[in-house]
Amino acid sequence: MAARRDLKFRRTITTVTVAAILAGIWLTGIYLEHDSRAALLPSQVITVFSELRPLTAFTLTDHKNLAFDLASLNGKWSFLFFGYTHCPDVCPTTLAVLASVRASLAGSAVGAEDIQFVFVSVDPNRDTAGKLRQYVNYFDPALLGVTGDNAQIANLAGQLSAVYQVMITPGTDNYPVYHTPAVFLIDPQSRYHALFTPPLDAEAISRSFKIVRELQARNWP
Amino acid sequence: MKYRHSLGLILALILVHSASGEPSVSVSDAWIREAPPGVSAMAGYMELRNNTSRPQVLVAAGSSGFESVMIHRTIVKDGMAAMMHMSQVELKPKASLTFAPGGYHLMLMGPKRALRASEPVIVNLEFEGGLVLPITFEIRK
Repeated sequence: MAARRDLKFRRTITTVTVAAILAGIWLTGIYLEHDSRAALLPSQVITVFSELRPLTAFTLTDHKNLAFDLASLNGKWSFLFFGYTHCPDVCPTTLAVLASVRASLAGSAVGAEDIQFVFVSVDPNRDTAGKLRQYVNYFDPALLGVTGDNAQIANLAGQLSAVYQVMITPGTDNYPVYHTPAVFLIDPQSRYHALFTPPLDAEAISRSFKIVRELQARNWP
Repeated sequence: MKYRHSLGLILALILVHSASGEPSVSVSDAWIREAPPGVSAMAGYMELRNNTSRPQVLVAAGSSGFESVMIHRTIVKDGMAAMMHMSQVELKPKASLTFAPGGYHLMLMGPKRALRASEPVIVNLEFEGGLVLPITFEIRK
């Protein structure tokens, strides 16, 4: 009787062991296939950081004259783009791409409820809240336009190493602004999570973002 | 005087049309991005094709629809996008060159009237040697 029970026990152990080995092989397979998040994401579209640095306090004002600060990033994925409204090529192209990304995500199963798109003007001299409102509404009423004084902008930009240079020329309202053409992705824990670099393509961004969001939800790796 | 003028026009037409009847430079997919409200700087894009076996050089662009038109190129330097004014752009023999977002573009400043999608505007492209091509640019959102 005892011997039979022992045999049964041993059989159970064997079954468990085999199952564990199989599971191990399966997990190793998954691991080899996706050894890091980077392997899942095309590097020419997105750079996902291995160390996710939380942003620190900053204060800006949005196009409705409401505060846009660190708390505004909480609980949402934020796509940030630094530019200026007098920009004829890069900014309208990027905002059109971001509007298209939002439309695509809004139409997907998971939706775009947890996402915000933020245009940060580095040219507060010309870009007033009223100007920003007209500008972002034109591309997508869901976009946020934010700005602040030079020190406030420099604070947020500095945390993301977002470079820009406003070439203010006395006596003219027609001056160029140099700025990073990248799009910065901040996660719902207010951490600088990833960077999209040009050429920016709405479909590639949507696809990469969905993977990043999914991995984050599964707490991977 | 009148005759000389006509002769010049005929010569210009001959220059435009090569032996095969093809223009020296052909332009396709010409469009200008509609300006958001309150913005007076716009960008124009197009595909240029040099049909000849010698270089063709775009030296200027102009339009009665704008206060000024310049040839620009967006370049990324030190991590920043900047617009560079180009005094000329050379089209290599039998080659194409695309003016596209984030690269070469026409910088159109001060539209004389509000330009809305589907309304075309004519921009004259001037090439070295006197060739002028009036191109219809479509306004796109």
